[in-house]
Amino acid sequence: MARLLNIGTLFSVALLAVGVVLMATSGQSPLDPDFPPLDLARLPSDLLALRPEGFLWLGLIAVILTPISRVVVSLVGFVRDDDRTMALISVLILGVIAASVVISTLVR
Amino acid sequence: MIPGLLMIAGGIGAGVFGSLLGLGGGVLIVPLLTLGFGLPLREAAGVSLVSVIVTSSAAASVYLQRHTANLRLGMSLELFTAIGALMGGLIAFSLSDRVLAALFAVLLTYTAITMARRRDPKPAPAAASATATPVLARPPAAASQPAAADPPLAAAVADPPIAAAVATSDEAPARTGALGGLSSAATLERLSGPGYNVRHLGRGIVGSFFAGIVSAVLGVGGGIVKVPVMHLMMGVPLRIATATSNLMIGVTATASAIIYVMRGGIDPFVAGPIAVGVFLGARLGSRIAPRVDARLLRVLFVAVMFYTAFQMLLRAATS
Repeated sequence: MARLLNIGTLFSVALLAVGVVLMATSGQSPLDPDFPPLDLARLPSDLLALRPEGFLWLGLIAVILTPISRVVVSLVGFVRDDDRTMALISVLILGVIAASVVISTLVR
Repeated sequence: MIPGLLMIAGGIGAGVFGSLLGLGGGVLIVPLLTLGFGLPLREAAGVSLVSVIVTSSAAASVYLQRHTANLRLGMSLELFTAIGALMGGLIAFSLSDRVLAALFAVLLTYTAITMARRRDPKPAPAAASATATPVLARPPAAASQPAAADPPLAAAVADPPIAAAVATSDEAPARTGALGGLSSAATLERLSGPGYNVRHLGRGIVGSFFAGIVSAVLGVGGGIVKVPVMHLMMGVPLRIATATSNLMIGVTATASAIIYVMRGGIDPFVAGPIAVGVFLGARLGSRIAPRVDARLLRVLFVAVMFYTAFQMLLRAATS
């Protein structure tokens, strides 16, 4: 689990760093009030076209996924140890996170 | 290009200080972005949440390796910080910049006072220093650690000043008292750890919920609430409370970060440079920690906090 967190962090920061470099080369200022929101449909083409927002958003997604994957790994461990209470708590945590996705899609 | 570089530099600064002082950096990043770069508070909070996840994940790996964090207690409370964060994330979008600024000023003041009240650990009579441990200036632990592992944050190596600030008395780990409201003895037992017993789970849950709201609304990790809740209310030794809090911050911030992302509240062009800077700064901080004068740093930090709180109040009053 520790290694997962380490790898996840390094991977996300690396993606963000690529994005930042691309910002510099394309002259994109962070202070520009317009910025592209997350758009998964655009992501593959943004990455291929080496647009900074592609790598930045992918990096941000990776950042957010890292703690979530830690919970999943913990869940697997608890199930294997037959620790039902903690397994349930892990599932509930994932549920809350899923709820935040759902609720923010609905509340616009 | 220049603003980007400045943001990276700012992020590095926040990362260094955050790691030396045992904070996630949120209390430094948000003022940096609002007062320094003129961002609206809510946008700053969103960016800060991302950075806080990065530092939490990086530090948590070390704490887990060293078995300092209490995973079961952390995850049990995490459920409630996440619920609080979810609510906080939704509330945040209906609060005005002025209200957010005022609330942030309160948080900054609370943080500054907590730091200022900290007493340096005295040479120990045996009972007293069960939980207090030397802080980062010259911890014996630090000298032997660097070869063994490369902790991303100094907090992983020695008790950071802000954690020690919470221990207003050098008390030994608490024993199980009267059973807390909703917890059975067996539950408490399962959440406890070597040498300590957890108590008052009910209050811990409420406190965690509140910590989650604070985290989501203000864009901070919330450790400044979580550590006292665990250490003072629940009887967890300080070192473990700090480590566990750090672990919990990742999930807490994630729950609200998702809301910020989906509501267009995070600017990737700001989050990128800041998060990269904070990550680099945290690594740098852990390396220079043994050479830093903790007390001077703390004085400097308290001064900066009070000044920033004042600026935030001005912003709330006049904008």
